[in-house]
Amino acid sequence: MRMAVKGIGVTGGFGCGVADLAAALKSGESRRAGITVPSAQGPLQLPAFRAATDRLEEFAPRRTLRRIDHYSKMGLFGAYLALQDAGMLAADLSRVGVVIASGYGATATTFAFLDSIIADGDICASPTHFANSVHNSAAANISIMLGAKGPSLTVSQFDMSVPSALLSAHRWLAEGRVDAVLFGAIDELSDLIGYLWHRQRGARSSATMAPLSFDEESSVIGEGAAFLLLTPDDGGRGYCAIDAIETGSIYRGSLPLPADALFVLGADGRSEFGARYRAALPGGSRVACYAPLYGSMPAGAGFDLACAALILQAGAAFPSPGAAGCAPEGTATALETGRVCALRFADANEYAAITLSPL
Amino acid sequence: MNTKDKLKKILVEDLNLEELTPEEIDDDAPLFGEGLGLDSLDAVELVVLVQKHFGLEIKDMEEGRTAFQSVSALAAYIDGRLAAA
Amino acid sequence: MTHPWPVAITGLGCICAAGTSLDACMAALYSGKRAPAPSSRFKSDHPTRFPVFEVTGFSEPPGLLRTSALGLHAAREAIADAGLDPETLRSLRVGVCVGTTVGSAMNNEQFCRDYRAGLDPDLAPIERILRSNPAAAIAREFGLTGPCQTVVNACASGTDAVGLAASWIRGGICDLVIAGGADELGRITYNGFISLMITDDSPCKPFDRERKGLNLGEGAAMLVLESERLRHGRSKEARSFLLGYGSACDAHHLTAPKPDGEGLRYAIAEALSCCDTPREAIAFVNAHGTGTPDNDRVESRVLADLLPGVPFLSTKGYTGHTLGAAGAIEAAFTVACLERGMVPANAGFATPDPELGGTPVAACERVAGSVALSESLAFGGNNSVILLGKRGSA
Repeated sequence: MRMAVKGIGVTGGFGCGVADLAAALKSGESRRAGITVPSAQGPLQLPAFRAATDRLEEFAPRRTLRRIDHYSKMGLFGAYLALQDAGMLAADLSRVGVVIASGYGATATTFAFLDSIIADGDICASPTHFANSVHNSAAANISIMLGAKGPSLTVSQFDMSVPSALLSAHRWLAEGRVDAVLFGAIDELSDLIGYLWHRQRGARSSATMAPLSFDEESSVIGEGAAFLLLTPDDGGRGYCAIDAIETGSIYRGSLPLPADALFVLGADGRSEFGARYRAALPGGSRVACYAPLYGSMPAGAGFDLACAALILQAGAAFPSPGAAGCAPEGTATALETGRVCALRFADANEYAAITLSPL
Repeated sequence: MNTKDKLKKILVEDLNLEELTPEEIDDDAPLFGEGLGLDSLDAVELVVLVQKHFGLEIKDMEEGRTAFQSVSALAAYIDGRLAAA
Repeated sequence: MTHPWPVAITGLGCICAAGTSLDACMAALYSGKRAPAPSSRFKSDHPTRFPVFEVTGFSEPPGLLRTSALGLHAAREAIADAGLDPETLRSLRVGVCVGTTVGSAMNNEQFCRDYRAGLDPDLAPIERILRSNPAAAIAREFGLTGPCQTVVNACASGTDAVGLAASWIRGGICDLVIAGGADELGRITYNGFISLMITDDSPCKPFDRERKGLNLGEGAAMLVLESERLRHGRSKEARSFLLGYGSACDAHHLTAPKPDGEGLRYAIAEALSCCDTPREAIAFVNAHGTGTPDNDRVESRVLADLLPGVPFLSTKGYTGHTLGAAGAIEAAFTVACLERGMVPANAGFATPDPELGGTPVAACERVAGSVALSESLAFGGNNSVILLGKRGSA
């Protein structure tokens, strides 16, 4: 059973909504704000891609959002935008499932809970922060606000969160448990994430993303939400189909990859994975990489899928931002065969290859 | 600042009631259900806030239930316990 | 293409306060013994010391989170029970699906304290978390090549992990899945649950009139789920079969269940529909039964309505609420009870509550019947149910 992508809802460094993402893909430009994180050396200004949620109030009255943190707000916003894009804002969502993939969860709220203990002692631990730091808080908030009564799944698998969760979303649809899945990838910037980037990579990073320069450390942290409204392929209109999801670990041999696909790479400037992309791609492969539009984060895999969907809808690949001067196997221009493979490598031997094609 | 005003400020700031100012909160309006419309998660947060701002422990929600009727009721409860301490 | 139900369970492993193996746990359950106590491993400033159910006689290696170490321990037992050797595991497509809460939290108090105090903290605690994803830890240990999924659905995680694993088998994604849950006790979780005012300062009393809340626990359980193709190919008897899985959201409140139990009702019906299991076939229910006033009231009323007269019990009186591990530990207990034809007493129950839908099993009793139901109700309004069947019932 093929899945169809019927709606896209995104918020990230490039703006919010699928139109902003499409515009960024055409122009190759995004907006790099920054984040200030505390450190022993004083406040650090780090390059970062931020995601806005103020337009969430177009969908949900502000008073309903009073206890909802930034992580869940990005999720809610992505979900509403995807439903809007799919023409389903007024639909009955009782048979819609919610699947959330997040690399790190609501790290800002996790630390806010710790802060409440550190500042005022164990007996002043904040129950609201605790409830919101539970990993499935975004899925819960989405299900409550939208009345989505189908099953709910939140997956925490670092860089493999999106491919892994997508497998289960596909199974729900194939088994007829739900009529549609609101599938979202969410990752949030926080003091912790910023500080870790600074300690682990800051000094080495060129801080101008050039992910196709596989040997260079050029990551810039990002946050955002990328949501897809998925249904079984029922012959109706949509962006594209998802044909196959392969994910696991590979210890021997080479990865079987679809011939003649355009590869949208999950490379995001983290140099430790660069060599694996180079090694896996057959000579003469056509590749593209759009992470410079949204930044380095596990949820980037969700944005890669959104980009793949837009490529298939347009029938042509977009230029890879920041690719000038690097020598990948072959940068993409026109889409000749109509198949896209979103390829991602992560720790140890992990991999994911998601194949998409026109509806 | 008297206890009632302090409580109103805490409600607006710490429970994130962005659309209200402390002055707009009626002394006797119900906090839960109607009135301010707080719920069970706000109730336990309020228990922690009372601990944090007044140093008073509310041991269970039975004790909390009567005290949390309104700003006036909560102020009276707090002032009563502080006086007895 | 989706293979039909049922899905075989060929191996089990379990570790919790009741014991460090499934057999040891069941011996404790049938003996009615339990020993909740204030934690010996962490301290809190709360004047009241809430009892918890700690695993004794187990230490995690320094480089791994306790949660993942508990998970590995249970996985080793399950894999051995299934008669699978390391080489076989590496040559097949084996997936891992594990529920947790603490195992995925980017949470380290010492790191946060040092960082907030203006220091440059040692990154080791964070690096340990990054290395300790519960599903990835198992995959790495055994060199497994299939998909990994750490399910973070709060208290329903373990049940959901087992249900999702069955889906992967039926979908032909894997021939084997190591499915279960793992969670450790710690200060942060302890303080968090106390702040929600749903903990009992005495040993928990699921479904009892005097119940005041839950006790936290820790542990892990793993089930080996196996395709019929592989199982027949190696002539392996199943210990049990998964006959159904249902899950639905209340869409009501972040921490409280929907009073009419709408999500649970749907999930039970969905689980029964997978193999068209008649309600009369259900021998007993392993309930979520945390001991909180709300959960036990809502849950018992739904059970009285949908499964009147079916014996139900909570085993959390022996294990505490093990959060992400709970659904998996309870699945393992349910299989063991079906094998034995006997359920233990609902520890902590003494006085019926007229507000509830019924009274739980008060003493060890024989159960006739080949099918049992295990359910979990979670923060966020997730309700998940699995149906397990005895050998020969499928």
